[in-house]
Amino acid sequence: MGRPLTEAELIERAKRGDQDAYGELVHAYQGIAFRTAYLLTGNAADAEDAAQEGFVKAFYALGRFRRGAELRPWLLRIVTNEARNRRRSAGRRGKLALRAAAAVPSGGAAPSPELSVLDAERNVQLAAALNGLRDEERDVVACRYLLELSEDETAETLRLRKGTVKSRLSRALAHLRERMEVDDV
Amino acid sequence: MSELELALTRLGRELDYPETPDLTGAVRRRLVEGRRPRSWRRPLVIALAAVLVVVAAVMAVPQARSEVLDWFGIGSVTIHYVDELPKLEGEEFELGARVPLAEARDRAQFAILMSTLEGLEHPKVYYRGDIGMVSLLYGTEEEPRLLISELVSPGAIDKLLSSQTDVEPVREDEWSGAWLSGGQHVLFLPVQDQLLRLVGNVLVVHNSSTTVRIEVDVSKDEALRILRSLE
Repeated sequence: MGRPLTEAELIERAKRGDQDAYGELVHAYQGIAFRTAYLLTGNAADAEDAAQEGFVKAFYALGRFRRGAELRPWLLRIVTNEARNRRRSAGRRGKLALRAAAAVPSGGAAPSPELSVLDAERNVQLAAALNGLRDEERDVVACRYLLELSEDETAETLRLRKGTVKSRLSRALAHLRERMEVDDV
Repeated sequence: MSELELALTRLGRELDYPETPDLTGAVRRRLVEGRRPRSWRRPLVIALAAVLVVVAAVMAVPQARSEVLDWFGIGSVTIHYVDELPKLEGEEFELGARVPLAEARDRAQFAILMSTLEGLEHPKVYYRGDIGMVSLLYGTEEEPRLLISELVSPGAIDKLLSSQTDVEPVREDEWSGAWLSGGQHVLFLPVQDQLLRLVGNVLVVHNSSTTVRIEVDVSKDEALRILRSLE
């Protein structure tokens, strides 16, 4: 049995039109692509559509993908554009679908009941504050913290300069703090 | 990381995302069926219904075909060769809303490039939200001297070219694209199914992130000089 192909090898094959190789790449990144699109659109159907269209576009654009570049942010950038287009076309702003999930604390060591309630309340409060942000601020927060992309990946995904990511994050965090303080009153 | 940043990270892990659909299968089916991305196909179908036929003669010649296909996508701009340009009922100058530069910088999803050429006045700045396009207009809407448009969305703009338009490949530093000259072409916005206006000479280039259109009634070298001045 041969060794599994590396990502770079899969990319080179896909560039030459190998759809099986590209299928492996899609499989590797479909989860993060779908989650990204979902956070931007707030709608599972739109997210699926955006991610699928993004992967198809990416296949036809592979010739422009620079050898040695990071594939994940490049793919996410295309998917993000698709998601944003759908958000614009729908004329609505996708609410982060946090309400139900955010009220459920994460697993791990069982926290005390009091702590669970506090965590859940904080999640709901934070989700509400996030939903109140402008799209450009919420997008950068979603990429950087919710999806845990690096600053470089966030910049690439959102087609922003790294400095812009930093400043936008800073503003977004300040706005979140303001909103959280207001809610605390 | 601050407490708030940690809380956001934890929140991201708490989210109950819908189950990821089988994108691999769906994408592979699209590729096997040869179904191109919709933003490429949809306007073409619409355009065909109106007036358009892809120039079969060009596509029949392997070398020409490969060259044409290379130009089908320049960043946010898709190019279609047509037999005959569609007739426009009225020319639209649809750059979007005029906004202060600071607002355009805030609303755009990318860093706006400005020309540093000496002698250029401050441009009028427009932002078109449906395709996320920022335009810098030098001169007036009635008598534009130079128009620089910047955008990042794939498939945002289509150009319909007749065979009278020369398409010359261009590569300049990080930029690659084409200089379109010699014949007018039509701008088409797929997102609005909207034919916009006739356009003369234009330089269309893109780098890894941004597509730039430089529309100006000068030579290619002058257009490239403007491109090099963008920062």
